Amino acid sequence: MVGVTVTTEQAYDTVDMMLNMGPQHPATHGVFRMVLTVDGERVVDVTPHIGYLHRGSEKLAENESYGQVVTLFDRLDYVSNLNNELIFCRAAERLMGIEPPERGQYIRVILAELNRLASHLLFIGTYAIDLGAMTPIMYGFRERERIQNMFESVTGARMMHNFIRIGGVKEDVPPDFVPRVRALLDDVERGVQECDRLLTFNEVFLARTRGVGVIDLPTALSCGLTGPSLRASGLAYDVRKDYPYEVYPYLSYRVPVGENGDCWDRYYMRVLECYESLSMIRQCLDQMEEGPVMAQMRRIARPPKGEVYVHGENPRGDIGVFLVSDGTDKPYRVKVRPPSFCNLVSLRPMMRDAYIADAVAILGSLDIVLGEVDR
Amino acid sequence: MTEQQPAEEQAAPRPAAHRGPPIEVAEEVLDSRGEHTAGALRLALRDMTIESGGRDDVPWVRIARENLTRAVESCVRSPNLRMDMLHCLFAVDYEERIELNYVLFSLGNAHKALLKVDVPPDEARVASLTGVWEAAGWYERETHDLFGVEFDGNPDMSPLILYEGFEGYPGLRSFPLHDYEEW
Repeated sequence: MVGVTVTTEQAYDTVDMMLNMGPQHPATHGVFRMVLTVDGERVVDVTPHIGYLHRGSEKLAENESYGQVVTLFDRLDYVSNLNNELIFCRAAERLMGIEPPERGQYIRVILAELNRLASHLLFIGTYAIDLGAMTPIMYGFRERERIQNMFESVTGARMMHNFIRIGGVKEDVPPDFVPRVRALLDDVERGVQECDRLLTFNEVFLARTRGVGVIDLPTALSCGLTGPSLRASGLAYDVRKDYPYEVYPYLSYRVPVGENGDCWDRYYMRVLECYESLSMIRQCLDQMEEGPVMAQMRRIARPPKGEVYVHGENPRGDIGVFLVSDGTDKPYRVKVRPPSFCNLVSLRPMMRDAYIADAVAILGSLDIVLGEVDR
Repeated sequence: MTEQQPAEEQAAPRPAAHRGPPIEVAEEVLDSRGEHTAGALRLALRDMTIESGGRDDVPWVRIARENLTRAVESCVRSPNLRMDMLHCLFAVDYEERIELNYVLFSLGNAHKALLKVDVPPDEARVASLTGVWEAAGWYERETHDLFGVEFDGNPDMSPLILYEGFEGYPGLRSFPLHDYEEW
C-alpha cells in the first residue's frame, strides 16, 4: 500500500521455480541429481547432473592387462555384472580370433540370463517402492537372493564374479549345477508370477504408470534409447535377435514389444522378458553337452594390433565396447557405450509436461544404474 | 588339472590354437552384412571418403572434418542407409592426432557403421551434431570433458562427468594416472 502499484499484467506473471532433487535422494537409485524447472505442479524442463560416481574406468583400463580389465567391467553395471564381463570378453576374442568352446558359451549365456532375471527382479521391486508399494520388493529380493546364492556356488562371489574370461569361463560349473538351476528356475518363476499378479494390473499401479512419461519412437531413436525401454515404444530391436551372438541363435524366444512407450509398458516389457529368460535358460540346460569350457590360448592375452566395436544386449539396453589394441598386453583404448547413460538422455523429453509427482515414476521406469552412467 | 582331462579332450577336441609367430596385425575382413553396408556407405559418401575398412559387420569410413555435417546428413537421408541412431561417439588419442569415432546405427535397415574424423590435438574442434540427434549433446560434453575437443554449435558445453573447475583432460594419454592431489 505504500506506493506499490501492481498492474494486472504483472500480477499474473508467474515465475518458474527450480526444484533440486538429489544427489542423496533415495528414488534416484544412486548418486544422481536432477534440477526440475516447475511451473506449479507441471515440470517445464529437467536438467540431469551426473558424474558423482566417475571413477575413470576407461582410463584405468588402459593401464591394466586384458585379464584385469574384466574386473573393471564388473563394477560398471553392478547389478548385471556377468553381462558386462561377457561383452568385454567378446570384444577381446573378436580381436584375437578366438571362438570359445560350445559348453563355455552355454555357461556364459545361462549365467547372463540368470543375471538378467536378477536385475529385472530388482527393478520390479524398486520400481514398486518408487511408486509407494512396499511389498513387491520382498518377493523380488527373495528370488534375487536365490540367484545370487547360485552365483556364489558357481563363481565364488555374489556380485564381482570375474568368472567369464577371455576365451571361455574360468572353470566348469559344479556337478549338480543343472538340477539345482532347474529347481531355482521353478522358484524364480513362481516369484515373478507373484510380483506380476500383485503389481501389473493393480488399479493404483495402472493409475500411476499408464500414459505417464510417454516417448514416441522417433524421439526415442534420436535420444539413443535402447533395451526394454525402446521396445516399449514399439520397435522390436533386440541385439540377441538382430545380431545374434554366443548360442542365442540356437534358442527360441520372443521379443516382447510395447505400444504406448509409457512407464507401464516399460515396466511390463521387463516382466515379460523375465519369462523369456526363464525359457531360454531351460533350453540351454537341455542343449548343453559335456566338453571343454575354455579355448586353448596363451596364458596372457595379447591381441594383435587393431580395433573392434562389439555390442550386446544388457538388461538395461544395448551395451557397446570399442577396443583398440596396440599389440601389447594392455589395451590402448577401451570405450564403453553404457546403456543407462544414453537412456538418461531421454529423461528430458519424457518429463516435459509431466507432474512433479510423476518425476520419480518416470526416472524409475528407466532403471538406471549410476555405476555405468558415470563409469 | 585332474587325470581325467586327457580322456575328455579326446572325446571333444579343443579348437586348434594358433601356432607359430604371433600375429602382429588383426586382419580386417567384412562379412556379407558388412559388405552390404559398406556398399551403401560408398554410394552415400562417394566424394568425401579418404580411407575405408572394417571388421565383421561394422565398416568404417574416414572423412575430413569439414565434411562431417554433410556426411552425416547424407547418411541420415540416404534411402539405403537411414542411420536413425547415434549409437556412440568417442575419441581415441593417438597423440599426433585425436580420432573421433561416430558409431551410426540404422535399426530399420540393420546397418552399423563407424565414421572417423581426425582432428589435430592443438586445434581439436569439430561441428556439433546436436541438431541431428538429441543423444549427441551428452556424448559431445563427455568427449569435451575427457579429451578437450570443442564442438561448435553445442548450446551447453558445461562439464558432464567431471566437476566444475577440473583442470586438464584426463582421457588424453599425456594425463598422468597416479599423479593426483588430495582435495
